[in-house]
Formats: sequence, structure tokens, C-alpha cells
Amino acid sequence: MKTKKRRWTPRWKNVPEVAGTYVILIAVCFIFFFPVLWLVLASFSSSGAIYDFDGFFPAGYSLLTYQKLFTDTQMYDYPSWLRNTLFVSVFSCALSTLLVILTAYTMSRFRFRMRKPLMKTTLILSMFPSFMGMTAVYLIMINFNLINNLWSLILVYSAGAPMGYLVQKGYFDTISNTIYEAARIDGASNPQVFTRITLPISKPILVYTALTSFAWPWSDFILPNMLLKNRDLWTVAVGLTHLGETEFSRFAAGAIFIAVPIVILYFSLSRFLITGVSEGAVKE
Amino acid sequence: MLRKKQVLCGILAVIMGVSMTGCGSSGEKSETEKKADEVKASGGEEMIVLRILENDTAKSEGYLDELLEAFNKEYEGQIQAVDANMEEYSNLAENGPYGYGPDVIYQANDKLMTYAEDKHILALNKEDYDCREYIPQEAWDAFTMTIDGTQYLCGIPVNVQEPMLFYRKDLLPENWEQEWDQDGNQVPDFLENWNDLYAYSKSIVEESGNSKWGLVAPCNDLYMSAGFLFSYGAYVFGEDTKDIGLAAGDAATGMMALRQFAGIMNEECIDDSIKQSRYSKVADGTYFCSISTPDTYVLFHDRLAKIYEEEGISQAEADQKAAENIGMVELPRLLPAKGDLSVPSADMEEKEWVSNVVMGGVNGYGISAYTKHREACVTFVNFATGYDLVKKRAEILGIAPTRSDVASDIGGVSGMIFESLNEGHIYLMPSVKAVDQIWDPMQTLLSDVAKDAFRERNGETVKYPDQDAMQAALEKVSKNIYDAIYTLAQ
Amino acid sequence: MKKRKLPFWCSCVVMGSGQLMYRQWIKGLLYLGCLALYLYYLFTSGITDIIGFFTLGTVEGDPWLGIQGDDSILMLLRGIMALLVTAGAVGLHILNIRDVAAMEDALAREKTLPGFREIMRRFVDRKFYVVALFLPIVGVLIFNVLPILFMTLIAFTNYGGDIVPPKLVDWIGFDNFRRIFQLSEVKSTFLRILGWNLLWAFTATFLSYFGGLLLALLLNKKCVRGKAFWRAFPIIAYAVPGFITLLGFKFMFSYGGPINHYITAAGGNAIGFLDIDAGWKARLIGLLVNTWISVPTSMLLATGMLSNMRADLYEAASLDGAGRWKQFTKLTLPFVIFSTTPTLITSFVGNFNNFGVFYFLRGGLYLDGYFLASDTDLLINWLYNLSIDNNYYGIGAAVSLIIFVITSIFSLYAYVNSSAFKKEDTYR
Repeated sequence: MKTKKRRWTPRWKNVPEVAGTYVILIAVCFIFFFPVLWLVLASFSSSGAIYDFDGFFPAGYSLLTYQKLFTDTQMYDYPSWLRNTLFVSVFSCALSTLLVILTAYTMSRFRFRMRKPLMKTTLILSMFPSFMGMTAVYLIMINFNLINNLWSLILVYSAGAPMGYLVQKGYFDTISNTIYEAARIDGASNPQVFTRITLPISKPILVYTALTSFAWPWSDFILPNMLLKNRDLWTVAVGLTHLGETEFSRFAAGAIFIAVPIVILYFSLSRFLITGVSEGAVKE
Repeated sequence: MLRKKQVLCGILAVIMGVSMTGCGSSGEKSETEKKADEVKASGGEEMIVLRILENDTAKSEGYLDELLEAFNKEYEGQIQAVDANMEEYSNLAENGPYGYGPDVIYQANDKLMTYAEDKHILALNKEDYDCREYIPQEAWDAFTMTIDGTQYLCGIPVNVQEPMLFYRKDLLPENWEQEWDQDGNQVPDFLENWNDLYAYSKSIVEESGNSKWGLVAPCNDLYMSAGFLFSYGAYVFGEDTKDIGLAAGDAATGMMALRQFAGIMNEECIDDSIKQSRYSKVADGTYFCSISTPDTYVLFHDRLAKIYEEEGISQAEADQKAAENIGMVELPRLLPAKGDLSVPSADMEEKEWVSNVVMGGVNGYGISAYTKHREACVTFVNFATGYDLVKKRAEILGIAPTRSDVASDIGGVSGMIFESLNEGHIYLMPSVKAVDQIWDPMQTLLSDVAKDAFRERNGETVKYPDQDAMQAALEKVSKNIYDAIYTLAQ
Repeated sequence: MKKRKLPFWCSCVVMGSGQLMYRQWIKGLLYLGCLALYLYYLFTSGITDIIGFFTLGTVEGDPWLGIQGDDSILMLLRGIMALLVTAGAVGLHILNIRDVAAMEDALAREKTLPGFREIMRRFVDRKFYVVALFLPIVGVLIFNVLPILFMTLIAFTNYGGDIVPPKLVDWIGFDNFRRIFQLSEVKSTFLRILGWNLLWAFTATFLSYFGGLLLALLLNKKCVRGKAFWRAFPIIAYAVPGFITLLGFKFMFSYGGPINHYITAAGGNAIGFLDIDAGWKARLIGLLVNTWISVPTSMLLATGMLSNMRADLYEAASLDGAGRWKQFTKLTLPFVIFSTTPTLITSFVGNFNNFGVFYFLRGGLYLDGYFLASDTDLLINWLYNLSIDNNYYGIGAAVSLIIFVITSIFSLYAYVNSSAFKKEDTYR
């Protein structure tokens, strides 16, 4: 899709370096993969309890846990939890990404009187330990009758998201103003500049934002635990924390299974992550 | 470029679609609410719906379903009881006032009475309940609180809990009747007194060369280890909560005994490991016995049955064999008054023993103060505490009922626990909120005491070489608890 | 001050009336509608809410008798909301006055005023930042500022301990702060934890930041084939929720866990990695585990940033004969640091307030020399112990306010002096 590809061609003097690089890579990947692999193995353990293991490895393997995870829903309704989490994630991902990118772009591109004070204020606000404000969020939701409603989560997640705009702003700060100015001279209005220029060139950071904001509801349990009272409305994270103490396999299986959508999302988006800005700009 | 966008949009749309339909079906309205709606729709005149919060085991073992079914059949057309569908420990104080709590709640006395203190659950009239004649005073006391000199009853007791010893009958030494039954009462001595349990555990460890153990218990859990405090004169809160009581009497002696026993356990007794590993490790014979609550009997049993099944026998046989081989008894009754477990029991005289007093709890029903149907709740609780259902509960869940008639009819362990409550071997935690503040500090101390035994074994500096050091530690913890309760309060 | 005409004064009294007099129907009606809404709110619940804010309730409830008393905490919240809404209404009123003034000025210059659509179009284009930031700011106001205000105010009440609803909560001024400073244990615990907390925040941020950067650079090397494949491993690690990873690691390092299993199988003594004596061992494990959890995110970010770096910079540099190390220190590092300083600060803040790591790895210990805390606890864990575990919300809020002030001054200073804040246009 783009300019000439510079292929790396092997040269003998590079061999030690290449070998070294790969050794480090393999080591790093092992470090990251091993605990996950261990979880995966645990999820296939036939006994279900973790103390029948021989060190890191289960004594026997079976698929029973996964079968139980999806069929034995009387106590732990995993399929519902998965649906709920997906629902919350998709909507809060879409909303937060939009809001964050909008905020970051605005803060980076425009100069207005309230800008620096706003930047300082958000920084200070983000210092506040979040769980101290949980009581208030709970009361707000009670006040608006949003307890036991998945939308309350989406609301809180996306409303809080713009606070983390600094990362994205850092990205926009490295984009040359000339691109925008050229568009302005061509007669594009500011909203048009945003949709036609900014969004296309911010793919890497869009992907980053989308990925992180999609993943957040999968791992957060403090908020849903407070706002969702009914067991069948729980998200996966809440559900997993309430599993019985001898259900380690199920815990592991549940954990693995919620990692899958995130990994899929990553793979489907990963090529945008490394598309450079300059390329995008040339394309337009 | 454009194509990619379309593909991406497509994927997103599909995901959204899936999650939307998912939520359309079950997300937006909970099962309970749906049920409630159905009732309204079909019933013509409005029927009362009660939300019942039972504990997780009652739910997973199927007791709750039977209870609801029985009740709904009895009161068909008038009252319908449904599962509250909430988390077992969901906080009534937080949910109740805003209408998200259950109507009837089943919980341990300390938890329930914390709610009672702020009037989140109703004061009840004992006369409304048919079970009143069969339940001993101790159990009622657990649910009684005094405000301005008037006593209020806030819960109806259903079952008693105390830590139990789970052991493997098939792993008893073959010659136990000769070697370990000096009083000849057909009960191994190491199930009767702690000195023999110590001696027996020690012999297992030594014979196996540190690969098998006798008793390995969660030492850091106050609930399981409290016997080493209460049996020696300690208590929780005296006249009022200003008197902490954990360092009272010869508590330090008891703690030294605990430290001594920890020395022949495995390191798992220091942290929470044992709480999850006990089922597997007792089942595979690594540990001869462990301590847990009676409601975990199922877990011990199932784990052992699974092992038998893997050995190749049928499920039914495995179940039966496991039931035969898992023993559940009360903790040994006798502790050495001087705190030295290594003295052979033969050398101990009658008066050198103290009787073991363990920590226990009574579970029961309370009625939320925010319910709209108080009368119906009373009806439900009365029904659920009746002979048939308490008996069913005991049969399905293996709990020890507080109803004397059920206890004597079932007999066995349930009967024993009931007797213990009657005879004062079970110390019930006081029903005040301040109890919340003793758990974490005590857990730290107990873990430290257990760890100290291993410090000694590994040749590190020990923290509690003698009783004085232990006494000082107990007093310090008591002071910390006092500070946590009073210094910060208004 | 210019002499103003009648419509201006009308707008000063009744929002939107001036606009109507200038035949700006839609605008005028919108202003008027807002006023009506606000007045409706004020008289239905606003006034009681504001009064409630000061009294915090007068009728104590008694659930036994079915007396629905005042819920002080909810009243406090509604009071804050009413005050915020009022502030918003005042702000809108000022806008309305300015608008009328601007209209008068425009009329003095031109004969006619533009139509509503034209005004809106111009507004959206010229003041795009207002339009763009409106939703984010409202969201942050409701779900971030409001809770913070709420918690700040809680620090001045006696909420907590025995005084929880249905009992009535009261304003007590600075009593909570006085009590904190009077208790020597609280002070010494605070200082000890603060020291460790700062050390933790620095090291944790450093490790995860440079770990991620180095990993991204490693994966960016030309000789690495199948980048997406290699990058997938950290992503998989990232995809497993943090609390699950933490619980997994806790088990791994516990006495019954696999690591001790191998140690004892090899004839060694089991090691208490996280137990009561662990101290620095536990701190180190916490650091490593935290690095494991946070490196993937910072790698992702660094990868995104690096892709934005212009290749021509490198080409020019290699033509100049700059070595690899020089390229890294002179080109890559300044660029990446520039574009990620804000991230560095956010991640520092995140680590400073990192609740999960030690809550899951080593929660529930109260050690000697600490008041309701252990030697691995961070300030936020201590806050949790104080306010949630022991129910001292008021005291907890006061402590958090103190921490909040210290940390925000510190990070504000760092931020304002960073090049990302001072020289935003370096790479433009």
C-alpha cells in the first residue's frame, strides 16, 4: 500500500547481533508468555483444583472446565457475564475513543485562553485516588436510578476517559501544523479538518486508545461490583472474583477466555498501529 | 484503504449487534425482575414477591430451590419467594435504604447483628416463630442486642458452625487400637486431646522424612485457631468494647502451644495456602488431617471421590468410598493447661488439662427493615425454620441445626455440635460492629506466631522465645485494636 | 462603559429576552427555555437541596418504625449538584449578556444580524474547541469533579465509625485534620509510607517506561522478522486482566505455590516471598510483577510513537556517520521522551496511586510500627484500610486530601517544567 519496501538483507558481520536480538526476544517473550501459559494449563486441569499440580503442571488434562464454564450456569452464569462485558466494552470503547481523541486533538491543535489552566486542572484531578470517589459515583447512580443498569458503567467509563488525554495529546504534538493549515487554506472548516485529516492520520494512537479503553472494562471490578447488584448482570471480572476458592480451573478458564477478544482485536488492528503519520499525510 | 475501513466497520457492527441482542434478551432486566413481572401479569390481583438472599452453598447444592419450591407451593397465589440473585455478602446497609436489598437475608450472627446495630434489619417477635421452643438460649443470645436496657431479637437462628477436624479414616495407623487408644473408648486418642495429636503428627513427619504431615491447619485464621486463646481465658470484649480481652488470662500460654504445633506443620500454615490446598492434600494423603468449617465437608468428600474415580472405580462407588473414608469430628477436647504439647498424654493428670473452647457462629434469618411486606417475611422465615426444612437443610448441606428436635433426630456430628453449643464449648462472637476490627490485626499476629516456629527451625532470630514476649505481643495487638476502634472515632 | 440599549438591560434581567427583541427567535427561546428549566428545577428540588447541603438533614430516620429520615450523605451530594447547576446557570446568564452586547455592537456596524444557522455554523468552525470540549468537560464534571468535591467535603464531616446512615452526619470543620496531627502513630505511619511510596512510584515508572521503550525499539529493529508475532506475546500478557495476573502471581509465590514446590523438592526450605517477614523481598516482587503488567502498555504506546518519527531524521543521521548509540541518545530518546513526558507523568501518578499490586499480593497485614498498614502498603492501600476496612470515611477523606495536595503540587511542578508543556511545538 505504500512506498518502496526496504528489505533487510543479511550480512555476515551482523550475525552475532541478530542472534543476540533473537535470544533477548525469546527470553522476553518467554517471561511474558510463561505465566499466561501456566494459566492456560491450569484451565485444562482435569481435577479443577490447583493443589493437585506437580509444580507448574496439572496432573491430568481435560476440557471439562470449559464445558462447565459455559453450561453450568446456575451459580456462575459465565455466558451472561461475557455478553454484559462485551456490551459495556464495545460501547464504552467507541464513546471513550471518540471523546479522548477529540479532547487530545483540541488541546494540541488550538490555542485558547482556558487551555493551560484546563491542562493543569486535569492533571491535578487525575491525582485523586479514584476509589475515594466511588461512594459519590454510587450515590449519583442511585440518584439517577441507574443501579443494575449496564449503561451506568458505559457512562462512567466514557466520561472519565478524557482525563487520560495526555498520551494522545503527546502524539498530536508531534504532527506538523502544516498539514492542517494546508487544509484550512483549501477552505475546510474545523470539523471537516478533524474528520478528514486528523482521524486518518491518527490511526496508531486511535488503535492504542481503542485497545486500552476496550480492555479496561474487562479488568475493572470495583465499579461494576458496586453498581451491578444482580448476579446475571455482572461483568466477567466481578463474576470471577466471586468464584469459590476451590474453583481455580474455572477461574483460569474464565480469565483466558476474556483475553481472547482483546487479542483478536489487537491482531485485527495491529497493522494500523505501525502506520506512520507521514505516510498517512502523503496519502491524503 | 476504503475497503479496510468497510471491513473494520463491518466487524464493529457485528460485535455491537451481538452484544446488543445479548443484552436485549437478558441484560436489561434481571431474571428476578422478569419473574416479578410475570407474576404481576398472570396473578390478576397483585401478589407479594419476596426476594430471599441465601448463602452460596445453599444455592449450589440445590437447597434454595427446594425451599422456594416448597414455600411457593404452600402459599400459592398469595406470596411468592424468589432468589434475590445477589452476591452472598452484598451489603444491606448500602443497598437496602435505596430499595436494592433483599427482603429476607440469611447470614452469620456477627454480620447480621452489624446490620441490626444500625437498624437495617427488623427486631422480631419470638412468639411469631414455631421453632422458638426447640432452640437453646445460647443460639438466641447470638441474635439479641440491648438498646437502652431493652433487649431486641433480630434474627432467627438456624444452624451452628464451629471449626471441625477433617481426617482420613483409612489412613489411621493399623494398630491404632493398641497404640493410640489408651482409654479404650474406640476413639483414637489423637482425636481426643491435642498432646496425642501432636505426638501422632510428629511421628508421621519423622517416619515419612518430611514428605507427609499429620495436622496442617490454617494457623493464621483466627476462626480456626481461636481455641488456643479462648481455652486459656481470653475473650473478645468484656463489659464493653473498651476491654479487648484477647490478652487476658493465660492467652500467651495458648499461643505458645499454637507456635509449638506450627513447628511440626508445613509452611503452608503460615499464609492462606492451606485454606485452598487442604481439600487436595487431605485427599491425596499428604496431610492426615486439617481444620475447616462443616459446610466444606462436600469439598473434602468430592476431592477424595475424584481421586478414587481416577483410580478406575465407578462414580457411585467412589462417592460411597469417599464418604466412608472422610471423617469429620470436633476438634480434640483437651488442651494442656501448661501449654506444652510435647508432654506424653500418659503423664498428664486430669487437672492438667483444660477443655477446648472454640470460636463459633450461628447462622440465621433476618428481615430487612426496608421490606414492603413485613408480614409476608415473617411468614417466610417461620416456614423456613420449620422442622421439615431445617431437617432438609441439614441433610443436604450437612449443617448442624439449632433446633434440638432436628439435631437429635439426625444425630451424628450435627448432634454433637448442637451439644457443644449447649455445653459452652463454642464461644460465640459478640454481636457488635467493633468485632470487624479484630480480624486483620489478629490474623497478622497469628501468622507471625506460626512463622516464628519456622524461624526457629531455620535458625533465624525468633520473635517469641518465651511467654513474656508472647504476652507483650498480645497486649500490643489489643492496644492496636483499641486504637482502631477508639482513637479515630468521635 | 458604552451606553446600552433596552434589550441589553432586558437580557440582564430575563435571560434571552434581549435576543427575542432583536428577533433572534431560536436563540432567544433557547435561552428562555434554559431559564425556565432552571427555575423549574430550583423550585421543585433545587432550593431544598441547597438548604440540605448546609443542614445535612434534620430528621433522623428509624427503619424499624418505618420513619424515612434524612439521608445526610445523599443530601450532601444533591446539595453539591444543586450548587453546580446554579453555577452553570449563572455562567449561562453571563454568556447571554455578552451575547446581547455583541449583537448590539454588530448592529452598530452592520444593518442586519446573521440567521441562527449561520451563527451556529460560524460558531462551530471558529470556536471548534468549545464544541469539541463541551461533552468531555461535562462528563468529567459529573463523574470526576463532583466525586472529588464530595470527598473533599466529607473530610469536614464526622461521617464514619458509628455515624453512618440512618444516623445524621454533621459538619465538624477541621476536627478530622486536628485528630490526624494529634495522633503520633498516624503521623509516623504517614511519613514512613510516603517515603516508600515515592521510591515505589519512581522505580516502578522508570522500569515500566524504559522496559516498554526498549522492547519497542528491539521489536523495531530491521532484522526482526514477524514483528506482529513477537509483539503478540506482551499483548497476550496485557489481555489478561491485571487482578487475575496478580492473584496468579500471589499463588505462585505463596508457600503452597509452584516456586516453593520446586525449592522444597530440591531439598531447600520454603521461602516466604510475601509473608510477614518478607519486607524488601515482597517490595521487589511487587516491582517486578508491576513491571510485567505495565510494560506491554508502554510498549504499545512507544511503538505508536516511534512509528510517528520521521525516517528522514535517521537517514540524515546515518549519512552523517552517527553510530547507533548516538542515534538513540540524540534522536530517538529526545523524540520519545518529548512525546511521552505527559505519559510519564500520568504513569507516575498511576503508580503512585497503584492500589492493586499490594492489595492482592499482600493485603490484610498490619505490621509493627505502622498504624493499620504494612511495610509494603502504599498510601492508597492505607487509605483503603482506614476508610473502607475500618469505616473511617471522614478521617480517610482527610488523609486523602492531604496526600492529594502534596502529590498534586509535586506533579504540577514537574509537569509545568517539562518540555512537553513548555515547548509544545518542538516537533512541529
